[in-house]
Amino acid sequence: MSYLLIVDDDEDFATAVATMLRGKGHDVRIELDLSAAVRSMTERRPDLLLLDVMFPEDSTGGFELARTMRWRNETLKDVPILMLTAVNTRFPLGFSSKDIDDDWMPVTDFLEKPVDLDVLTERVQTMLAARQRRRG
Amino acid sequence: MSTSVDPTPRFAYELPFSPAEASPSAPVAPDAAAPWREALLIGNVLWFLRLRWAAIAALAAFGLAGLAFPGLLQALGLRPQADWPFFAAALLLVANLGFLGHARLIVRNPLRRGAAWNLWAQIVVDLLILTMVVHFLGSLETPTPFLYLAHVVLACIFFSRRQSLVVAAIASGLYAICVGMERLHIIQTPGIYLDPLLRQAMTSHPAFPWLTLLSALGIYFVVWFLASHLSELVRGQELKLAEASRRLTLAQQEKTRHMLRTTHELKAPFAAIAANAQLLLKGHCGALPEQAAEVVSRIAARCRRLAVEIQEMLQLANLQSAEEQPTPVRLDLAETVRWAIARVGAAAQERRVTVEQTLEPASVVAIEDHVKMLLTNVIANAVVYSTEGGSVRVRCGEAPSDGPVITVEDGGIGIPMDKLPRIFDDYYRTEEAVRHNRDSTGLGLAIVRRVAVSHGIRVRVESAPGRGTLVTLRFPAAGRGESERKEGGHVLSADRR
Repeated sequence: MSYLLIVDDDEDFATAVATMLRGKGHDVRIELDLSAAVRSMTERRPDLLLLDVMFPEDSTGGFELARTMRWRNETLKDVPILMLTAVNTRFPLGFSSKDIDDDWMPVTDFLEKPVDLDVLTERVQTMLAARQRRRG
Repeated sequence: MSTSVDPTPRFAYELPFSPAEASPSAPVAPDAAAPWREALLIGNVLWFLRLRWAAIAALAAFGLAGLAFPGLLQALGLRPQADWPFFAAALLLVANLGFLGHARLIVRNPLRRGAAWNLWAQIVVDLLILTMVVHFLGSLETPTPFLYLAHVVLACIFFSRRQSLVVAAIASGLYAICVGMERLHIIQTPGIYLDPLLRQAMTSHPAFPWLTLLSALGIYFVVWFLASHLSELVRGQELKLAEASRRLTLAQQEKTRHMLRTTHELKAPFAAIAANAQLLLKGHCGALPEQAAEVVSRIAARCRRLAVEIQEMLQLANLQSAEEQPTPVRLDLAETVRWAIARVGAAAQERRVTVEQTLEPASVVAIEDHVKMLLTNVIANAVVYSTEGGSVRVRCGEAPSDGPVITVEDGGIGIPMDKLPRIFDDYYRTEEAVRHNRDSTGLGLAIVRRVAVSHGIRVRVESAPGRGTLVTLRFPAAGRGESERKEGGHVLSADRR
């Protein structure tokens, strides 16, 4: 069982994803805003973060949080991040795997909303397995 | 590349599109007039340079005629000229090369704003050399002084009224100096005419040369007045048009931004609905009664269709948005076609449609994401509108005369001839297409149109109901796309939904 944190301002979406992942045996917590997410991660480091991009107070808040974690936080810099987004604000035509690099989007992977929950679950399992392998 | 076309006749349709649409939302600076004027001036600089090559050639030819065919000139009553035509041609040649070098610097970096200086230098040098020509040919007895008018009129087109008045004054001054120096015997020339009586007639009375000079100067200023007035009227209209165009572009950009934002706002709650419908269907909230499961299945299916529609609306809006467009890169079309075929693999499998591919390398410079969208839409259309168990043939390669060409051919439902011209319209779907595939959004070919227009890709569609459709995509050869886009000389034709 892994501890997963979902950070998304859409409670309905976050709850649906959490239900699915809990059904797979994970411990899942939901945070609806970025400051609560930072507090939560300081209290307990997640094994994986599912992060939205756009928040009511900051349309690129998800990117900022990911950058802060990767470059300015020793404890959280290795947490795998799965970014969930309704629209790509950087590359208007949508993400592709090659777009993911540390220069602009320091996340491990992304999925575009609306997501297929099976695909999302599979992606989470793959990322957790990769993390496990890295830790040896 | 060879393409096999169904021998059964199909209707073909090609729709020319407006060059203005090539960059529907090109960014416009808040002060549109300055860059617009600079761009216009740069165009004038280049045109003026080309014109001067003709003048240089004419002078050199005149000099050569004097050397090679003196008898011919004499037969025409003209005096073969000595070295001055070559000297004048050489001076113009050197000057033109200098202007050309400077013009290239300006073209590379329009922010240097040097086009006006270049034009001024060209006009002043021209007027000086023209004065030499006027002197040697005959300042009073020949019509050559009227060549000054060409520069006065051009200055009216290039510059403001006041600046063109300065050009008219320089031309008048140079001509007056020429005539004055000749009258004072500071410079002498026999002129072009063999018969000395012509020149003598012009100077038989002491007032004649000055009257001729004053008449010419009067004409220069009358022509300046008329030409500058007309030019200002035209320029005023053009500025109004540029301003109207700028406002329209800004409005379009604002509309696009608003649409992107609205679509996003729609997409987020929709993602929640889709996720919750999936939860119910996958039994995470307990088993559903059969009827309830059917209702939730319909919700989920509708969600999937809406997801595709939202995605296509976003793609279309983004194609119209000039903000942060990706950079064009060199692509192997064969690779991109392979990628697009893989994307539609599931749909093909579902409909038992075979996709046959004959792919040879073909290089283009394009925005990869956009070309992928175009190809995915064209190939997906061929698959979706094929009959079950049918086949789609995709070919890619370099045609010897046409450059990179892709053809996508199916044996599907086809498109009636009268509907071909509309199939690229936003949200247009033929009744036949809707009957065959209810999931059609009507946006796929609008995306194809936008990408084709922005990349200078020529799209041709041949189709007939029940006999399938052949789509031919002709790409500009690598490196040619940009210039073709600027010229706007491409053609888009129709496709099918």
